[in-house]
Amino acid sequence: MKQLGKGNHNSLYWKCQLIGWSIASLYWLLSGVTFPGFSWSFAILQFITDVVIYILLTDLYRRLAIKCNLISLSPSGLLKWVIPAMFILALLYTGVTTLKLYLFKSWFDPQFTQTYTGYFRQNAELIFVGGARLMSIWLLAYHLYHYAQREIIVSRENAKLELISRETQLNNLSNQLNPHFLFNSLNSIKALIDESPVSARRAVDLLSDVLRAGLYNGSAHLIPIEEELDIVRDYLELEKMRFEERLCYKIESSGDLLNVSVPRLCIQTLTENAVKHGIAKRKGGGAISVCVKSKAGNLEIAVQNSGVLDEQLQNIGLGLKNLRERLFLKYQGRASFSIVQETPGDVLTVINIPIT
Amino acid sequence: MKIIKTIIVDDERNAREEIKKLIRDYPEFEIVGEAKNADDAKEMIEQNEIDLIFLDIQMPEKSGFELLELLNHVPQVIFITAYDQYALKAFEVSAIDYLMKPVRVERFARAIDRFKSTDFGKGNERVFVKDGQRYHFIIWSKIYLIESMDNYARLYFDEKNVFLKSSLNQLEQKLDNTVFFRINRAQIVNLNFIKEVNSGEGGRLKLILNMGNSLEVSERQSVKLKKLLSN
Repeated sequence: MKQLGKGNHNSLYWKCQLIGWSIASLYWLLSGVTFPGFSWSFAILQFITDVVIYILLTDLYRRLAIKCNLISLSPSGLLKWVIPAMFILALLYTGVTTLKLYLFKSWFDPQFTQTYTGYFRQNAELIFVGGARLMSIWLLAYHLYHYAQREIIVSRENAKLELISRETQLNNLSNQLNPHFLFNSLNSIKALIDESPVSARRAVDLLSDVLRAGLYNGSAHLIPIEEELDIVRDYLELEKMRFEERLCYKIESSGDLLNVSVPRLCIQTLTENAVKHGIAKRKGGGAISVCVKSKAGNLEIAVQNSGVLDEQLQNIGLGLKNLRERLFLKYQGRASFSIVQETPGDVLTVINIPIT
Repeated sequence: MKIIKTIIVDDERNAREEIKKLIRDYPEFEIVGEAKNADDAKEMIEQNEIDLIFLDIQMPEKSGFELLELLNHVPQVIFITAYDQYALKAFEVSAIDYLMKPVRVERFARAIDRFKSTDFGKGNERVFVKDGQRYHFIIWSKIYLIESMDNYARLYFDEKNVFLKSSLNQLEQKLDNTVFFRINRAQIVNLNFIKEVNSGEGGRLKLILNMGNSLEVSERQSVKLKKLLSN
């Protein structure tokens, strides 16, 4: 793709060079038609040499510009280079043009006897002004084109980045929503509507709050434990309606810790994982306990569920992986995460967070 | 009106209640039982002649797919799932239909229509096997040869073959013995696929199947087979 793009640029460049200089040379040719002693063969020779010489001259600049990487400079940085370049190009233009005109004149006009220095003094000023004008136009066109190209690429890349970050956001969102939980909950609520309208109404309230907590996309990465535990409590009450006697749970926390901040949904992620492994995957269900306490100046969050660690480790969820990463980034190694087989029938997941 | 015997398999009581409510509109369907896991369901299916299972895919310990793999004769199945990550798989296994929880009345009606329009009568008994990552339903009458391979039986059908976790003795007992015949220690053949029967040495028969397989019948079984074929 890149190669192809470069090829396109090149062929466009040569086309523009050829067309631009041909038009300029044609203008000079036509303005000479009315002169006395105009000859077509001489005019065509002039035309061809003009086109070739000026293309070579400006292409020399392009080569240098590419070599010195002028194309990628910002407009203000470019200005420092382009103004002197314009002068030098105009001087070169004057030199080659006077030389060419002088040679042609001395070859084709037998009456022409002026020396080159004399010829140069007589014509250089006018030719320099014309050259400066032409070179300015050329430089402007060349650099404007590259500037526009660069802008297009930059904006395209920005759009791509934007898209990627949106996609990530969306993925996070659908992970947070946990479709299995969502649709199973809706299905239980549907069944409860006939059986126990009061429970059904309660379940809708709980589901709304759990979903709201998951959908929350604000800037607060830390929330008080009290709020986090409310989400966990709602979630477990709702899952209890679904799993009935298969789920037993308890939540313990000491009152003085309730204002301590924790990463959003950290306890909820552990709890969801505990339900998945300790309840949903076990015929007879099991028990879950969530315990929050302070330990040696740290905050310890422990979630225990029935089950076997090996099975649990085989498909460690994305949620748990993300949580581990978030803890690492947030506390830079001062937080710890562990998952162990506490007793033969229980898996314990613990996170330690410094109390700030 | 032919009664269609049905069971509902789902680990959540609420979910089973939902399906029961939906079935209530179809008096020809009789709910023979409800199971909350694959093992209970297996027992129920083996003890009753079940025509149709409403089967949840995600269940504790054994999934709905794993349940089907345990059965020698698989009834018709309508899969039910909360989320569509398994739906494609279910289509690969050519279930009658799959339903998403919560199930809409009109969607349920369509699944029932599909069930009624498929032939679930005799001769269409199927087995459910996993072959790599894909699941297949195979109609027994299409299987022409079964070979013993350690703890597995290798089933040949069409141009393919798959493994089923079952011994030949177990299969011999369960299969229709007017169609499937044990020709030796290691092979069971579908009689409908025999093209030629030739006598070999010592009264042993040699069989050539439609597919070109040449098989040898043991001495003892040759006697039985001759009797069977002459009837």
